[in-house]
Amino acid sequence: MSEPRPLIEARDLHAGYGLAQVLRGASVDAAGGEIVALLGPNGAGKSTLLRVIAGLLRATRGGLLLDGLPIGPSPPWEIAARGLVMVPEGGRAFEPLSVRENLELGAFLPSAHARAEETIREVFALFPILEARQRGRAENLSGGERQMLAIGRGLMARPRVLCLDDPFLGLGRDVADKVGDAIRAVAARGVAVLLAGQHVRRLLRLAHRGYVLEEGRVLIEGASPALGDDPRLARALLDVGRDIS
Amino acid sequence: MSGKRSGLVAVTALLVLLPAVGLPPYYLHLLATAFVLATLASAWSVLAWGGQISFGQATFFGVGAYAAALAAIHGVASWAALALGAAAGAAAGALVSVAALRLHGAPLALATLACAEIGRGIALNWEWLTGGGAGIVGIPALPGPASSPRAAAYYVALLLLIITLSVFSWMTGSRLGLALAAVREDSERASLLGVNPSTWKLAAFTLSGGLTGAAGGLYAHMVRVVEPDLVFSSWYSLAPLIMATLGGPRTVLGPAAAAIGLYLANELVLQPVVPALHQVGYALALIAAVLFLPGGLGGLVVRRRRAAP
Repeated sequence: MSEPRPLIEARDLHAGYGLAQVLRGASVDAAGGEIVALLGPNGAGKSTLLRVIAGLLRATRGGLLLDGLPIGPSPPWEIAARGLVMVPEGGRAFEPLSVRENLELGAFLPSAHARAEETIREVFALFPILEARQRGRAENLSGGERQMLAIGRGLMARPRVLCLDDPFLGLGRDVADKVGDAIRAVAARGVAVLLAGQHVRRLLRLAHRGYVLEEGRVLIEGASPALGDDPRLARALLDVGRDIS
Repeated sequence: MSGKRSGLVAVTALLVLLPAVGLPPYYLHLLATAFVLATLASAWSVLAWGGQISFGQATFFGVGAYAAALAAIHGVASWAALALGAAAGAAAGALVSVAALRLHGAPLALATLACAEIGRGIALNWEWLTGGGAGIVGIPALPGPASSPRAAAYYVALLLLIITLSVFSWMTGSRLGLALAAVREDSERASLLGVNPSTWKLAAFTLSGGLTGAAGGLYAHMVRVVEPDLVFSSWYSLAPLIMATLGGPRTVLGPAAAAIGLYLANELVLQPVVPALHQVGYALALIAAVLFLPGGLGGLVVRRRRAAP
């Protein structure tokens, strides 16, 4: 099977916070239309990896390629302008603004702004509850609705690459199913989706491929159903439990 | 909404007619000063929209006053001197924004406070330009009918306030306002949506500085003298902050209404009754707003309207 060219490719990323080294040479990639899961115990570097990809944190070594072109150390707004959007953990909204204003903010970039009306209808088709709530303030949404709003806001930019940090955090099963369906629909349009999170089973059901990170490196990588059965995955997740106890 | 609009038109018409009904010059001057303060409070709120709390609006007020005064004593027409004051205030705003690029919250507030002191220091020491501590005297009054000497300044102050409120109102619904609101709420998440916080903060500082500078230039023409301790006084930094906080900086009319109400109440009521303590009114208003009125008086109106079915 020939591999499609990756839309986003991280090579040998090293990064950390001050003296705390978190990423120690992680390499991941995702092609257009592909859903890729980033798994691993807490502190393995999943969120940090997404932060580096989105430009929130600078890599001390390694590089990023977007559609085959290197993106040097760029600030987040420039990376967003090149079609890569990250939805941070917690799905927090801009609370005093209305649901609609939150979505309009997602289409802030001129290219997305021109098509905002069309995109907002697509987002409403994915998450009808947002259309019903569009005039209300974001602070009045439930946790699940906020997560939908955060993803919808990310989609408003019409990204080529969408990074979601723990999109199922705190969601009930029904809402998580809806969010999962929406992610599939987005990928079906050719968007490369990078998903990080704790909900291993759900992420693997959703993803085409996955990476298991441990201590800032990729421990295993593989196609999604098989990866779930890999004994090393269970061990990586359990190791941390042993450390804590 | 149309009721609100017709109310605004009626108030404006009333204010336009006031000089014609023979209001004494003292009261015209008092109202013009209130309009200047209302402009300052609204311009402060433009900055606050992006979460930038300024303790140094006197910087832009003083720079605008000096620029307009210098232009006016060298024979530049009054309207052009006012425009120069606005331009100088805008330039000072841009400069402060670039210098304070990485600051927000309390450090930004302190930096803006320091900027006003720097402005005062420059005005004191660059005697060749500013006349030093003696200041600049002999600024011509705004041209107007001899029969009503305060009317011209009154009308210009009213016009400046209307322009400022229009700009503020436009901003709240614009791309600039949306970007600033996002930066205020969470600058990191805003940056992920393609918003470069520095660009929009710079725009807000420039706009706020320009409006404040225009008010400074007008004030120079009203009192016809500028001195470092007068126009760089911390009063012009604190008054907009207090008035906007009381009025509610997230509402378009709140800051201006609070400025006019608070200033007139102090000058017409507190000053005659308890002359020694009249400044206390501002302090009490600020304390009351911070303790009991999150969002200010304007916020109260908005909440009530939202709560109504």
